[in-house]
Amino acid sequence: MALIYRNFRISLGNAGPILLLYFLSITEIDTEFSKTFDILSFNLQLIVIYYWALKNPDILGNSHIFFAGIINDLIMALPMGTSAMSYLIVAFVASYIRNVTVNNSLMTDWFTFLIAIFFSNLTYLILISNFSDYGLSYINLFYNSFFTFLFYPLFWLIFNIYKALIMVKIND
Amino acid sequence: MATNRDDFTIAIRSALLQKGAKQRYSLFFFICISILVFFLDSFQSKTMTSAKSLLNDGVYRISSVATSPFKFVFFIGNLSKKHFLTYNENKILKAELAKFRAKDFQNDFLKSQNRNLQEILKSSIAGDEEGVMAKVLLDKESPFLKSIIVNKGSKSKIKKGMPVVSSTYLVGRVVEVNYLSSRVLLLNDLNSRIPVEFGDRVVQSIMTGEGTSKPRLKFLPENFEALEGETIFTSGKDGVLKPGIPIGRIELFKNEPSVKLFSDPNQLSVVNIILSNFIQKNKL
Repeated sequence: MALIYRNFRISLGNAGPILLLYFLSITEIDTEFSKTFDILSFNLQLIVIYYWALKNPDILGNSHIFFAGIINDLIMALPMGTSAMSYLIVAFVASYIRNVTVNNSLMTDWFTFLIAIFFSNLTYLILISNFSDYGLSYINLFYNSFFTFLFYPLFWLIFNIYKALIMVKIND
Repeated sequence: MATNRDDFTIAIRSALLQKGAKQRYSLFFFICISILVFFLDSFQSKTMTSAKSLLNDGVYRISSVATSPFKFVFFIGNLSKKHFLTYNENKILKAELAKFRAKDFQNDFLKSQNRNLQEILKSSIAGDEEGVMAKVLLDKESPFLKSIIVNKGSKSKIKKGMPVVSSTYLVGRVVEVNYLSSRVLLLNDLNSRIPVEFGDRVVQSIMTGEGTSKPRLKFLPENFEALEGETIFTSGKDGVLKPGIPIGRIELFKNEPSVKLFSDPNQLSVVNIILSNFIQKNKL
């Protein structure tokens, strides 16, 4: 019984990032605060994907990243596959960084995250501006990317604490 | 140098093709699938459109259910806030009511005068438009798209382009129709363009969304100076929206006219979709 309970707790802990990713994609709750502060919006999904793809890729599988992207596209009325592609690019950069670096600190994670945001938003921009009728506000996209980059250390800290908690449970 | 390039290639290849212990497919596989889905969606084939419509209906419903507990919490919060503000609001409303009652007589007079004039011009007087009440399922904020999803679709005879009002004020128009749900593009969206008119001189302009809460007025006459507080109405020049739907009032910001919308696009819970036959009337 204790073993079942322990396994359940581990599974639940591991499912946390996936649930958060789906939650952000499917619900109305988001990190867009333009109602209160005109330029404040950031993409928490990118932070979640980058962090977990970098630290523990087994927790956040590629298929989940893909499906979360598709759901996000449907909810946001974007051409299907746009967000999925942009999320997968972030996961790809994270995977590349994981392969070429040995010691990861906050600073290396933070600055390599800038590369991930750049390529992800570049893909997004190319797809939207060339293959859809949507008008894009470049300045809004810039603010969104800037705040996503700016808030990374905060979420890095939170996810690090979370990771430490679930690791303790696994090693119990 | 060659070794460095080899390392780079190996790292890239490994990042793309590597599968984790619990993963069946590589990143490369999913990137290919995303590209395929994207192009299938871009071509807008009939099969893909119907499949997407079905998917939309399903995802919107799930999203609505998943969001409902949070909506309930916000609702309770707003309710308690409103409760404390009701007393002051009541005082203000009483004063406004007295003012409106006085205006009502004037309004009746103007209405009858207007009707008589229209009869003289032999123009048809539009009756009350048939509308469908719809509940806002989702109001997800996006830095790129300002839209809402409502719980009525083609089943309720909703069509693309139909105007959407809250009370009697225009809030947007239908841009996507599924069987059980529709997407409404709000007036403050970057892609929204509405032909409007205002003022005693019946000035024509185009109201364009800026992604912010206040749309702008563009294509105004040269050297035109807008007056703050003038009411903006739809002009119906596009042949899609019925003329005379109130939208908002002019506000000047650094001498640039913007529109303070009568209906706050962030506070919509129930809207009315006008099953307008204005397009057909115009065609005739």
